Amino acid sequence: MPDRQRQPGDLNEQSPPSGEAPKSTAEAAAPGNKPADAPRPPEELTLTIDGHEVKVPKGTLLVEAAKRLGIEIPVFCYHHKLDPVGACRLCLVEIAPGPPKPQTACTTPAADGMVVQTQSPLAVGARADILEFELVNHPLDCPVCDKGGECPLQDYTFRHAYPVSRIDQPRLHFKKPIPLSPNIALDRERCVLCYRCTRYYDEIAWEQELTVGQRGVESYITSEFEQPLTSVFSGNILDLCPVGALTSRVWRFESRPWDMNHQGSICSKCAVGCNVTLWERRRQLVRVTSRENDDIDDGWFCDRGRFDYTHVNDPDRVRLPKVGGRDTSWDEALDALVAGLQGARGDRLGVAIPQDITNEEAFLLSRLLKGPWRGARIGMQNRSSLPPPDGATLMIKDLEKARVIVVIASDTRDDVPIVNLRIKKAVRRGARLVVVHPSELDLDRGPNTARNTLHIRPAEGGTPQALRDLAGNDVLKEGPVAILYGDGRGREDVSVLVKAVAEFAAAVGGEVMPLYRATNERGALAAGVVGAPDDLSGVEAIFCWGPPPSPEGLRGARFVAAWDNFLRPEHGEPAVVIPDVSFAEKQGSYTNLEGRVQFLRPVIPVEPPLRESWELLSELSTRLGVPTDYLGIHHVQRDAAEAVPALRDLADPPPPAGPMRATLIGPARP
Amino acid sequence: MPELRGSHGPARHHLLTQHFGTADLHTLRGYESTGGYSALKKVLSGMSPEQVTEEVKVSGLRGRGGAGFPTATKWSFVPKDHPGPKYIVCNADESEPGTSKDRYLMENSPHMLVEGIAIACYAIGSHQAWIYIRGEYDEPYQLVRTAIAEATAAGRLGPDAMGAGYAIDIRLYRGHGAYICGEETALLESLEGRRAQPRSRPPFPAVKGAWGKPTALNNVETLSNLPWIVNNGGAAYAAFGTEKSKGTRLLSVSGNVQKPGVYEVELGVSFRHVIMELAGGPPAGRQVKLFWPGGSSAPVLPGDMLDTATDMESLQAAGSMGGSGGVVVMDDRFCVVRAAHRVLKFYAYESCGKCTPCRVGGNWAVRTYERVLAGEGSAADLRLFDRIQAGLASGKCLCGLGDAAGWVIESTLNRFRGEYEEHCLHNTCSVAERELAHA
Repeated sequence: MPDRQRQPGDLNEQSPPSGEAPKSTAEAAAPGNKPADAPRPPEELTLTIDGHEVKVPKGTLLVEAAKRLGIEIPVFCYHHKLDPVGACRLCLVEIAPGPPKPQTACTTPAADGMVVQTQSPLAVGARADILEFELVNHPLDCPVCDKGGECPLQDYTFRHAYPVSRIDQPRLHFKKPIPLSPNIALDRERCVLCYRCTRYYDEIAWEQELTVGQRGVESYITSEFEQPLTSVFSGNILDLCPVGALTSRVWRFESRPWDMNHQGSICSKCAVGCNVTLWERRRQLVRVTSRENDDIDDGWFCDRGRFDYTHVNDPDRVRLPKVGGRDTSWDEALDALVAGLQGARGDRLGVAIPQDITNEEAFLLSRLLKGPWRGARIGMQNRSSLPPPDGATLMIKDLEKARVIVVIASDTRDDVPIVNLRIKKAVRRGARLVVVHPSELDLDRGPNTARNTLHIRPAEGGTPQALRDLAGNDVLKEGPVAILYGDGRGREDVSVLVKAVAEFAAAVGGEVMPLYRATNERGALAAGVVGAPDDLSGVEAIFCWGPPPSPEGLRGARFVAAWDNFLRPEHGEPAVVIPDVSFAEKQGSYTNLEGRVQFLRPVIPVEPPLRESWELLSELSTRLGVPTDYLGIHHVQRDAAEAVPALRDLADPPPPAGPMRATLIGPARP
Repeated sequence: MPELRGSHGPARHHLLTQHFGTADLHTLRGYESTGGYSALKKVLSGMSPEQVTEEVKVSGLRGRGGAGFPTATKWSFVPKDHPGPKYIVCNADESEPGTSKDRYLMENSPHMLVEGIAIACYAIGSHQAWIYIRGEYDEPYQLVRTAIAEATAAGRLGPDAMGAGYAIDIRLYRGHGAYICGEETALLESLEGRRAQPRSRPPFPAVKGAWGKPTALNNVETLSNLPWIVNNGGAAYAAFGTEKSKGTRLLSVSGNVQKPGVYEVELGVSFRHVIMELAGGPPAGRQVKLFWPGGSSAPVLPGDMLDTATDMESLQAAGSMGGSGGVVVMDDRFCVVRAAHRVLKFYAYESCGKCTPCRVGGNWAVRTYERVLAGEGSAADLRLFDRIQAGLASGKCLCGLGDAAGWVIESTLNRFRGEYEEHCLHNTCSVAERELAHA
């Protein structure tokens, strides 16, 4: 609502109407009324669903209550991470006491003594009617649809619809497929208009890119002004879509869901550590989907993790070691490597490491750096220049408990995308936001930005002073304060900044979260692999593991050994090339930015001539005089857990996530 | 001066329209010459909000927009101790086919509506009201806008309304032609600048309405009744009408009648009186075949039910509803299947598309009608009408639009099954054949 319609007549009001109404009474509570983490007695209600009694906390919606009993109430528009909307009408059930008509279980909160019937003739008939309507214009192209086999529309039709079709008329058509972005295709004929994608864009991602065009039976999903989606969060709509309307163009027509194997693993693209599922078919990584972990990713992950995987299957991948450009044996290559690095001692040796180095690899490397490679210069890909954490740091899920969130010197959408979504969630639930950053950010586009957000734009190097000025601000007195800080990407003197943040945190009584950028930066810091500022200039020999830091850095060196998936132009002509395994093949673990150790689960086996990276490092160590005769990665993990306190969780890896169950409605929520 | 096509002048049951026809009634001076704004003065200077609500409660006034919900009860849902703003929203998006009573009121006596809104504001403790007016209503818009400006300039509204220290501000918002905006929650979405689609209820607008604030939504006619009730007392109003449907209401009579217009009647009179006497009945030699008693959303009643009374209980017992008071009359020249198809096209076209049954079902029904009317009907189509109708009916949709679309099929099919069977089973139309023979 534009301001021109704000009313001077509201004489007794504090706040004029704004464009966005709070979405629930919980959100409507003014910030500061009551800290979110104040102990509240859980109020339990007892209701009966299909004759079974169930106790649920007050406010639980009927669909969620039914999940607790294992009763399926089919849904399209309802999603447990989105606001209920009641649009698809598929969740109709009969409720007593209540009017003698079906009601939506996805918008009705449980009440004490309520009696719900999902199997009464009225409810069963109502759902069958809705499913029949859903199929009136659906193309029924299941045989060639990517969703076929894991499609709620198929499964609900199988379980809840009329056995006989009465639809004998031509179906309505749309132009299709529409490319919404280079990664996402939209099939409007398959769409059931549940609005999950547009609601996700509005409620979760705060991006204005997806909307609905036309109305009635001609309604369709469209990108705003038909421009391509650019958001780094766009891919989540693929997981949200309950039909085959939104499909991945990277994966489109690649395989049927039942032909794939999958493993629950961890995304390797940044320090957040989103949980993902990797999907394999015929030794190819064909798909990456989200694997909900409310402690970390809240069910989302970004497009970098979702679409940036095809290099794993690239036929040009290096699979054999090379010396002088010629394929050779592992023995010869490792000999040449050891010989080439021999002359370079101390800081004349450079070691580049990839951002997704595992804890285990970092531990093995640290033993080399304490021994034969002592004093070598280290450069870690994509690393922030933040020092190791000093004391406890804030957990991602606890951001939701904060009443004030202060984001310092980081564009969180670029640095830690899924933490950015958690900030948005907390703000939407009423937390105040303070941004200390020179530029306009997506966090400035919130539903209540005008009332909720304070954006301070310091000049270059001015952040520490801005923090000292901010410390006395009344906004920070409203409750638990969460302080997230990045390294300013070169605009700040990091040591001064970190000190200022610590003083600020002490002054306002807040908890801090350093925003590391590289995937396992925190693990590498803990293992002692990195620490000093990255600087590979002027080294004589360089062991370049992962993408080269810069072309110049390699050019000056007399000897270059590359350990990578590819031979890249930036490598020049390395003397020795060793093939590396990818994140889909690797065993090991990452420490995410909050210090949580999570384990990778390979979905593609390491097939000869490729060798496991920990095994190779272990053999290299032996050749360099550090005897490390590990029989399996578990032994590395056991030693690392003993040697490095921050890695103690390595001693006890949890069992791999079991196979995904065919739950259409998601796990039961508390 | 707008042409008067309907009730005007003094009559015992002309509570709203008694002064219609008075010169310059649409101006502040003209309105006040008929005793205008005395009710607002009485309310602001001597009554508590509770007393106003109580008076309305005694009057038994029920919403005139369609649902017929008791007005005082609706107000009582607005939380009294809410700390922030509360709003009155007047639904002037009169878009129900066959209904033109709000227009009649706004064109003839815009100040009566303004005064009614001001009274309602005081009753619920609101200082801010919005009138969401149908975009096509150019003249009513101009008249109401002028009335608000006049009343504000003269201190009847504004920061110190009637000099009583109570602030009342009324704003106009014009719709853009969507039928769905007459639905109260879609209206609020539109008012807030969003895509007009109904919200899921609860929460009801009285608790969380415009911009999330408590909001009472009332129809133009409902609000226009308030000055009379305040001036004459709720009991005087309750003396009109039936036991449960009190007072009078405006019926917009249109279709195959000789004197279409807006007629104020005491609730409880029969449709025979309304259609045959007030509106002059169908053209000579014709019979009333069917009529919609409360706008196109109310199930149709056949001509032999003309003796049904206009009060809401009688209509409910007859299998229809009072709705918006739009009485559409169809005589025996016309085919009911064709008429149902035409009405259904309207509902399919105006479906907002948010919920599945209405979005798909309306269009599916239209396509089925098209097939039947093209002479390709079959027994399957007869069953299909029943199926679609059942899929739309009884609250499966998010709002009432889908129900209304279902009722069009259901009521015409049940009341005139013979004609449907002619079309579906034999692909003939006895009405068309008779008219051809007649010509």
